Amino acid sequence: MIVRVLAVAAAALALAGPAAAACTHPKTSLGYLEGQVMCPTCHTTLDQSDSAAARQIEAYIAKRIAQCASAQQIENELVANYGQGILAAPPRKGFDLLAWWLPIGGVLLGAVLLALGVWRWSRRRDDELPPPEAPGLDEETERQLDELLARLD
Amino acid sequence: MTGRLKLAGQLVALACVAGLLALLVWRLTHQQHAPKVGAAAPGFTLKRLGGSGTVSLASLRGKPVVLNFWASWCDPCKAEAKALEADWSRYRSQVQFIGVDYHDLAPDAVRFVAAHRLSFPMLQDGSGAVTGAYGISQVPETYIVSRSGRIVAHIAGPITSSGFSDAFRRGLAEAVRS
Repeated sequence: MIVRVLAVAAAALALAGPAAAACTHPKTSLGYLEGQVMCPTCHTTLDQSDSAAARQIEAYIAKRIAQCASAQQIENELVANYGQGILAAPPRKGFDLLAWWLPIGGVLLGAVLLALGVWRWSRRRDDELPPPEAPGLDEETERQLDELLARLD
Repeated sequence: MTGRLKLAGQLVALACVAGLLALLVWRLTHQQHAPKVGAAAPGFTLKRLGGSGTVSLASLRGKPVVLNFWASWCDPCKAEAKALEADWSRYRSQVQFIGVDYHDLAPDAVRFVAAHRLSFPMLQDGSGAVTGAYGISQVPETYIVSRSGRIVAHIAGPITSSGFSDAFRRGLAEAVRS
């Protein structure tokens, strides 16, 4: 009985080993993470850097992707090693939230101010337009015009 | 109404410009530069690389310290490692050598230490706060700190290269004498 259990366990291990080593369906890509992770020595994202530090991180990311790690897992591991500054985007919590909301707030405020400006400008133009004058000709001029036209005919 | 709106708009614009100016001033005043020779060495407490516990510079006061910043991806650091270990073996009774791993992956750094058989304490500066305080922009770089905590030498390159070797020796001698 014990021999059979050991044999099954050995077979399971033999099957599980290669499966764990190679990831057939990667959960993320190197290209994606290269845009999300900073090179710590050159302060650009990895995809814009060719430094030795950047290449080391890329190699680590590639290894973890091959082990089926998700983007979040890899980012967490890099943050644990390098600190929060390794991520290109600031975290969406605490004081760092300002970095997300300030640009949105700025754009909204700009849109409101622009709309207000356009509205005021259009109102001022309406007020400033002179009342349309009826283009009328006096009788004498009309008569002369008729005569002139008749002569031309 | 129009006047008030205009005034409010001007105030908002003024506040934005003032905010940007304040940011610029803050950035300029908080820029980190390499500490000069003769200045007090910036204090720190860092985790040991690949192990438990921390080491602080203050705890080493009374003994000269050679503070070497390195990284496993740095080629000149590989050439320098052997010389550093040799000097550590020779001067360990008089000087404390400390290695600070710079912008590096901890497993790679641990492998580097093992491969080069480095036996002096190695610390990990994950966030880069200490390397920032020392104005490190490349590795290897070495600071030599006197018993009283003053910087006596700054070698911005590998101690094995001809240009820096003499400066390292002079700094080491000065730190031991201090």
